[in-house]
Amino acid sequence: MKRPNFNPKEAPAQVADWADQRLAGASPLRKLFNKVFPDHWSFMLGEIALYSFIVLLLTGTFLAFFFTPSSAEVVYHGSYVPLQGIKMSQAYASSLNLSFDVRGGLVLRQIHHWAALLFMAAIVVHMLRTFFTGAFRRPRELNWMVGFLLFWIGFLEGFAGYSLPDDALSGTGLRIADAIMLSIPVIGTWVSFAVFGGEFPGGDRIFSLLYIGHVFLIPGIILALITVHMALLVKQKHTQWPGPGRTEHNVVGHRMFPGFAAKGGGFFMIVFGVLALLGGLVQINPIWLFGPYKAAVVSSASQPDWYVMFLDGSTRLMPPWEIRIHLFNHGYTVPPVFWPTVVLPGIMVMLGLLYPFLEQRFMKDKAHHNLLQRPRDVPLRAGLGAMAVAFWVVLTLSGGNDVIAQKFDISLNAMTWAGRIGILIIPPLAYYLTYRLCLGLQQHDREVLAHGVETGIIKRLPNGQFVEVHQPLAEPDEHGHTELPYRGWVVPKKMNRIGAIGPAVKGFFVPVEKPEEAAPVSPAPKREEITSGRK
Amino acid sequence: MSSTDTEREAPEFDPDDPKLTRFDLVREGARRDGVEIVHYEPRFQQPGSKEEKRVVRFVALCFAIVGLAALAFIVAYVAWPWQYKAGSNINKWYTPVLGLTLGLALLFIGIAIITWAKKLMPEEVSVERRHDGASPDVERKMTAATALSMVDELGIKRRPLLKGAVALGLAPVGVAAIMPLGALIKNHKSDLLTTAWKKGVRLMHDDGTLVRPEDVSAGGQITVFPAIPEGNSNKYADSPTLLIHLRADDAATTRDNALPINKGAQWQNYVAYSKICTHAGCPASLYEQQTNRLLCPCHQSQFDITNNARPIFGPATRRLPQLPITVDNDGYFVATSDYKVPIGPGFWERP
Amino acid sequence: MTAARQDSRRKGGLRRKLGTAARLVAALALAGGVYTAFAPSSQADDTPKQPLSAAAQHGQQLYDTSCISCHGRNAEGVKDRGPSLIGVGSAAVEFQVTTGRMPMGRQEAQAQRKPPKFDDTQAKQIGQYIQELGGGPQLPDGNLRKGDLAAGGELYRVNCSSCHGFSAGGGALSSGKFAPSLKPATDRQIYAAMLTGPQNMPVFGDNQLTPQEKMDIIAYVQNMKSDQDPGGWNIGALGPTTEGLAIFLIGITSLLFATLWIAGKS
Repeated sequence: MKRPNFNPKEAPAQVADWADQRLAGASPLRKLFNKVFPDHWSFMLGEIALYSFIVLLLTGTFLAFFFTPSSAEVVYHGSYVPLQGIKMSQAYASSLNLSFDVRGGLVLRQIHHWAALLFMAAIVVHMLRTFFTGAFRRPRELNWMVGFLLFWIGFLEGFAGYSLPDDALSGTGLRIADAIMLSIPVIGTWVSFAVFGGEFPGGDRIFSLLYIGHVFLIPGIILALITVHMALLVKQKHTQWPGPGRTEHNVVGHRMFPGFAAKGGGFFMIVFGVLALLGGLVQINPIWLFGPYKAAVVSSASQPDWYVMFLDGSTRLMPPWEIRIHLFNHGYTVPPVFWPTVVLPGIMVMLGLLYPFLEQRFMKDKAHHNLLQRPRDVPLRAGLGAMAVAFWVVLTLSGGNDVIAQKFDISLNAMTWAGRIGILIIPPLAYYLTYRLCLGLQQHDREVLAHGVETGIIKRLPNGQFVEVHQPLAEPDEHGHTELPYRGWVVPKKMNRIGAIGPAVKGFFVPVEKPEEAAPVSPAPKREEITSGRK
Repeated sequence: MSSTDTEREAPEFDPDDPKLTRFDLVREGARRDGVEIVHYEPRFQQPGSKEEKRVVRFVALCFAIVGLAALAFIVAYVAWPWQYKAGSNINKWYTPVLGLTLGLALLFIGIAIITWAKKLMPEEVSVERRHDGASPDVERKMTAATALSMVDELGIKRRPLLKGAVALGLAPVGVAAIMPLGALIKNHKSDLLTTAWKKGVRLMHDDGTLVRPEDVSAGGQITVFPAIPEGNSNKYADSPTLLIHLRADDAATTRDNALPINKGAQWQNYVAYSKICTHAGCPASLYEQQTNRLLCPCHQSQFDITNNARPIFGPATRRLPQLPITVDNDGYFVATSDYKVPIGPGFWERP
Repeated sequence: MTAARQDSRRKGGLRRKLGTAARLVAALALAGGVYTAFAPSSQADDTPKQPLSAAAQHGQQLYDTSCISCHGRNAEGVKDRGPSLIGVGSAAVEFQVTTGRMPMGRQEAQAQRKPPKFDDTQAKQIGQYIQELGGGPQLPDGNLRKGDLAAGGELYRVNCSSCHGFSAGGGALSSGKFAPSLKPATDRQIYAAMLTGPQNMPVFGDNQLTPQEKMDIIAYVQNMKSDQDPGGWNIGALGPTTEGLAIFLIGITSLLFATLWIAGKS
């Protein structure tokens, strides 16, 4: 039989034709190709989270092939000698096998764990960028809420993953999680017994829940929310920094195809590469040192992963305040664990979710915004953000205060007190300092717009006074004024930024100036960022 | 590249016009998608310049590194000795080698692609118009009407009987849907109030041997479990207990300080406290034999052993419950009852 | 090197040691009370003293120059300065002296490990002297590492890890005290620490952990220390704290530079 003629050069066209006959996708596809994305380093932080999530899915699938979520007791006979003959749960034994008896299992386990830490870290950094630049304002309140929820769902997902191997650290974490559930008034014991299927640790119930949650339910929710997050981004288009030619009604940047997509794909490879390097070269969560979970076993410096550490910190700082209520001849207890681990996160979730609306109400700004604001231009928001970050940092540091106490030779009790006092005074201080800093930066921008860039040239006046020569940023108008209005744009502060002393040549942190070209003082208008946009 | 500044209608646009370049088609397509390509120029003024060749060579070199690293990964994955062997040996480098080769391969793919995109692909600035805000008024009204017409068509407003029937019929279905979750619910009545200890239960070591007074030196402490089958397993996670042999003077202080509930719980110089912290349930077991403090490593609650294990620092609010112990005729430690109060973290119904 | 020179060096060394001891005595006298480091666990027996062995006599000489100011003549203790050493045994002496904790430099929340002032032989001699004065726990000779790893691991996790940590890196205790890292500890030091319970460490006498169990623990700890980490650099094996730090310092930082490069002008 003769095979039909096949021309490889025409194959793509034929496939495209075949598909378009059926889907009529040419024009929507082209619209997608032509979508314009603004180019700025700070817009790529969320991508890190997205790519970490893909890595998590890939590595997690591999891990699931070998992991057994069961508390059934087995005797370990794997190749890790110091645990041979020890009784342990099947979950822990299979995690050990994954690390020692599955070829390449350890590196994938470690990549998975590092990717989880990176996923959460990237979410936080991305969220901070969104917050401080005002990218959450109308019309993007909904996407802010989706992203904010992603942090908390990622938090649950991470905690479930941390708990699954059933090593002594996981068990300690679950023990505390049980105490947190128990602390909820009225329904606490019911919640705890439903989750553990009895008194802690209960048996297989918790592993069934954690496992199905960790590998199916929660990742499904995360995937759905990421889809919504992306869809809203595409629909609403990305925000952009203000600047020449950039308005509330356009997007200036690169079309998605091919440049932007290539950069995104390349960045995915870089994220994956960094994770692979970390996973291979830096050891994480050495479960074989922790041993199987036993209710009587604990280690100094028992900590959760970093994104849960703020809760550990808030619990450590909480004063011993317990509420006892007497009703109908029966005492009722609200344990001190309740406030820092249930109420505090509850407040954090609500405040975070509602922040865009609170700000709209407080600042009386309900307009559409597609241009970002520099943090300095909204000192109130920057201050609040700094305050929140400071609050969170004090709690997180307190979550590791025993390690800090030990490594830096500080009294543990002193660390706790420092945290208790710090949580009260450092956030307001951060607010105040940030507020002043923002005003100062604004002030300096205004000065440069009014008087020009410092040239470093000192001139002596006839009366003997020394003054520095400033290079105005604009041509003098008919009155000889060179002042420019304040627009919230980046203001060039150095001569080489306005092309006056030659372009900066290669230099990673600081532009290195070419000394031989450092002559002309007249600004080259092509490189002048502030004036080229106004005509 | 400047003629696109103005909007222009192109009714005469013919995609098959031989005078049009491919880029003209691209530009027209973008224009129809609301995107103006306002700046578009190749990176290199003359193709094949020295600079361009340098970049091309760099990208090629990156891909060569990728190939080598990936090959190294495959070879290492298959051929490197990987089974666990104690000590320092080549097997311990299996994971680092895999991570390094895989990481380098992926990293250099990224570097190559991005260099390609940044240095070789044309420089471009495009401007896309936004179409923000709500849909046109007419559209909204028509959509609203379409949605509301459903209510009209159902005529539920005119048929109150159906309204009631639907509400009455569907409400139980909603509840029924969450009923299977009820399988998770478990009655908890007294589990939290008791432990495996009771009168006559002996104390045992982790290895199952029974505990005699002479097993603990003065200034020593051991973790003991109820001497019942699986007494040291997680089945009885509420029962681990810390048995402490105090020095004579500390023991006297402890006896003097004993609260009514703890009277008689001490046997000579030996005291036994629940190891489960009353704060969050971690094993509070960092015993300082000179200061007689017990520290919990999870949230740093500190308990004073000589004073009914009272919390003296940190977030814990309640004393560690004391297990009343004595020594039976065979010379073994034995509990004289369960703990007098529930052990472990607090909960709502705690009496 | 000639014998004469060696001899003079030894004399020089002795002079230096005497000088240090004198300074130490002065410092301690000024400092006042010294934190209680040893605690007697049994009373001195009243049996008539045997003549001291040769080793103990050497030990006595060392004791009389370096320890006597705080622990008193015949190790009976000096009120507010140092406890009696009657009955602490040679194990306690060996632990304190070979880890450099004794002689103590200054009063702190707890005695710190520092370079030892006496070598192992001298420490054994002082230990022998204290042993012959009042008896007490002694270290066995021979290999202390011949134990079962898995059993040692179980014992370690139940008895030791709560303070010293899963990876033997040590941990914080209340009010400035801490459980030291076991990284520099030798077999004999670990054994002696369990046997005597120095400072705030609970005592794990032979009745509680048998010599075999102690050897199991030592085997486990020393194996853990010498076992190369299979997963790469262990960043201190301090658990999630350093891992969290690493993801920001290494992961996020490197990727931030990557974004700057990707989005930067070419």
